[in-house]
Amino acid sequence: MIGEFIDGPLWTFSLSVFVIGVIWRIIAILKIGVKRDLSQPRGSSGMGALRALFSRFIPERTVTSRGRLQLVAGYLFHLGLFALLIFAKPHVDFIAERITGFDWPAMPHWAFIVAAEFAFAGIILLWLHRLLNPVTRLLSDLDDHIGTLLVFLVMLSGCLALAQSFEPLRLLHLLLAELLLIYFPFSKLMHAFTFVLSRGYTGATMGRKGVNA
Amino acid sequence: MKQSASRTGFAAVITRLIGAVLIGLLINPSTVSAQEPPAPSGISDVRVLNPGGELWRDVRQRTAPVSGKTQIKGVDTGVLINSNGDRWRHFRINQLIPIGGYVLGGVLLALLLFYMIRGKVPVEGGLSDRKLLRYSNYERTIHWFIAGVFIFLGLSGLILLFGRPVLIPLIGKEAFSVLASAAKEGHNLMGPVFLLALILIFVRFVRRNIYQKGDLTWLLRGGGVIGKKHVPSNFFNMGEKTLFWMLVFVGGTIIVSGFVLVSPSLGHTREWMELAHVGHAIGALLMIAVIFGHIYIGTVGMEGAIEGMKTGYCDLNWAKEHHDFWANEAEKNGEALTNEEVACLRGDFERLPREISVKEAGK
Amino acid sequence: MSEAFEQGVAALSAQIDAKVASYFSSCIHCGLCAEACLFYTETHDPRYTPIHKLEPMKKLWRQEHTFWGKLGKAMGLSKPLSEADFADWERLVYDSCTLCGRCSMVCPVGNDITYMIRKTREGFSVAGYAPDGMKEATQRALTIGSPMGVTYKTLSAAIANVEKETGLHIPVDQPGVDYMTIFSSMEIVNFPEFIEALARIFKQAGVTWTISSKAYEATNSGIQIGNKEAAAELVGRVVNAAEELGVKYVISPECGHAYTAIRWEGPNLIGRPYQFEVVHILELLDQLKAQGRIQVKDFDHTPMTLHDPCQIVRRGGVIQPPRNLLNSVADHFVEMKDHGVMNWCCGGGGGVSANERAEELRLEVFKRKKSQLDELGVNTLVTACANCRIILEEGLEHYEMDTEVISLTELLAEHLVTDKPS
Repeated sequence: MIGEFIDGPLWTFSLSVFVIGVIWRIIAILKIGVKRDLSQPRGSSGMGALRALFSRFIPERTVTSRGRLQLVAGYLFHLGLFALLIFAKPHVDFIAERITGFDWPAMPHWAFIVAAEFAFAGIILLWLHRLLNPVTRLLSDLDDHIGTLLVFLVMLSGCLALAQSFEPLRLLHLLLAELLLIYFPFSKLMHAFTFVLSRGYTGATMGRKGVNA
Repeated sequence: MKQSASRTGFAAVITRLIGAVLIGLLINPSTVSAQEPPAPSGISDVRVLNPGGELWRDVRQRTAPVSGKTQIKGVDTGVLINSNGDRWRHFRINQLIPIGGYVLGGVLLALLLFYMIRGKVPVEGGLSDRKLLRYSNYERTIHWFIAGVFIFLGLSGLILLFGRPVLIPLIGKEAFSVLASAAKEGHNLMGPVFLLALILIFVRFVRRNIYQKGDLTWLLRGGGVIGKKHVPSNFFNMGEKTLFWMLVFVGGTIIVSGFVLVSPSLGHTREWMELAHVGHAIGALLMIAVIFGHIYIGTVGMEGAIEGMKTGYCDLNWAKEHHDFWANEAEKNGEALTNEEVACLRGDFERLPREISVKEAGK
Repeated sequence: MSEAFEQGVAALSAQIDAKVASYFSSCIHCGLCAEACLFYTETHDPRYTPIHKLEPMKKLWRQEHTFWGKLGKAMGLSKPLSEADFADWERLVYDSCTLCGRCSMVCPVGNDITYMIRKTREGFSVAGYAPDGMKEATQRALTIGSPMGVTYKTLSAAIANVEKETGLHIPVDQPGVDYMTIFSSMEIVNFPEFIEALARIFKQAGVTWTISSKAYEATNSGIQIGNKEAAAELVGRVVNAAEELGVKYVISPECGHAYTAIRWEGPNLIGRPYQFEVVHILELLDQLKAQGRIQVKDFDHTPMTLHDPCQIVRRGGVIQPPRNLLNSVADHFVEMKDHGVMNWCCGGGGGVSANERAEELRLEVFKRKKSQLDELGVNTLVTACANCRIILEEGLEHYEMDTEVISLTELLAEHLVTDKPS
């Protein structure tokens, strides 16, 4: 019975909250608006925005050495997570069945496992760093920890259900994923979408001044 | 696949031991495995020749070559019955599990007794008002990384080893099957992550774990437990160095055997799997027992021990007592920091009397 | 709560635009901004983490623009901003930030933290929480016309001196010329050789130029203290004078934030575009050289390096001209390892040099510039900002270093090819 709830209404609810919530947050940010810049531009703000969107994926040189752990763990986590979210067979099947109606080639099982291991190593190292480094310790708040914990639990429950033989394990994974979807728009996890805005705005300002940022 | 003769090392010892025991048991037919049906009632207790006995003996492959020919090409496909499997199963159920349980329980009990008798060992002369930087942020991060992964692997591994005798009576078969599947998947996936953690730990700490002058003395004096005299030590004492190298070698064995176990498609036989399992389990039980001690000492066992790994800084008196070669050198180099300075650097501002800068705190 | 405080909160709230909202929404507290900030790297005090300096603005954003913030406020669970927030954060916002912009360059999600500190100061200044030194400088700038109290009398004396030394005429209040130049008080008082350099270069290049007796001050204390009304008033004086004289260009001198003030913030402060263009002196010199209107001779063989003023290079976009110019007169010019848009701040920008309370910290963090110089082993430092110059000289003296600091424009003037022997 609870299984039907998780598979049915709660899934629909959580996905709706996610989609509506994300769109709402982005519109709310844009609506506040930015005053038009009346100074004479030196360069193009559009090109600057586009440039910064991609250039910030590559960390600046001095920070690369000082922030090496975060850089490596951060990429391990994000790339691993995206790979397994989008290309792991169980997920491809799920998304094809419930959202898109079409599927796409999944990665081989061993690649799924490797991606998952990268993601786990990354998230654990990042979270430990957040707790142990005095700077991140000072900055971090409840939102950061809940977000990390939820993502970790979704990943862990997914890993535990890997045999795909036991309903309770699959349902636990789905339930946690649904909770994550509901939590998402109300949290810093929104950075997954808002980073486009923040990189874009800064890139535009700097591009206007003729600085490659 | 040939039996026994070419095997070396502890596996051979164990196999021979088990073999000896079992052969002894086999002489008494009533103690052989329960696969033989009980004699039907009404028939006298006289040995009757089984007409299919010869066929059975051949199939059972006690004397004939162990592997035959089949149409299906593959690993072990020519082996109809793996006699060794039974030996292995007996070892697991009758020796590994009970003895392993007693060892772990025994270690926990011993630690409890030690604590009840000796209590928390305080720092001689009490804690000071100065600290030394002992572990960087990176070092603490990778330590807690390997610790967390180890605990997860240990717990899931113990569920897999002790689950049947211990958990099924408690939670029933259905719940256990869910738990065991979860434990297996989690254990298998996190294993390679442990490899990564071990590599990071090795690269970072190996230099400080090379044998130095004074280490043997430390070991012979039991680290100061034997006798009352102070025992000098370097950054890591011999006990810690022993743990490090155990982690590397026994841990390495666990990892290698783990890879063998998790990748049967790589083409090794059942006997390698059995060997790997035995190595994996014994290695893991050994490491868990030792880590019990490590956790004990680091938490309740000794005052000031966990501070270094928790905050990065350790008390100067603690350092001088337990790692004086390193501590004295560091103090001479002017590396000692005041408690206030450390509070500033760590962002523990509630501990500061007022709003001060790092520089002010250091005066 | 005092009225000033209430107005301060209102001013701070008004500064939250879509950019600020996107920045706070994206910040996941990675702390990498700290690794780029001079004040953190030299002290390892986590409080100097750039995004941490914005805590009051973040609190306000959260309470006014996010679900949990608004819920907390409605249920009375979260505390609104208090005077203590302003009092406790004043030092972080003013003493430990020069608006240098390095943090904005490294943030993985692209946050322009410098932009937000500038905006935060708007709230703080209205609430009355700003360093006394900066308040006094702003007062002097508004009433006297210069933060250092330099009147036109002082300037005209300096001008007269230059005319005597060079035999050149320096036009004042001349309408219809191409260029109007402004100076920072620092240059007028401490480095009047800059005026001489300009006079000689412009004579050689045949540039028609003038100085305005009504608006000669380039610095803008309003930008530094973070008060748009003061900033608009100060920049407005220059704009009005320039438009009255009908010049084509206003030259921004060797002063960091003066360039930010007139080039980038000015039109937005006064609410309209200018009727002239702004050019930085380095840009102009680079252009004149490229056009062949000025030529230089004889290389200086002393090994020298370049300190990039933050507001001109990283935040201003004048990156290549100083290098072109220096390369034309120095054949042993070596770049610092972190150069150009990632060079390190001298520690005295953004009003910090006017803040006596911040002196000890400023000298402490000068260690970074010291290590940059030590790494190169070079004893001559060239720069293009008078404030940087003073701060660098003070820092070098504090650490007993033997390094000479020279102005790029003055160096160029020394190598100028003139029609008659100078």
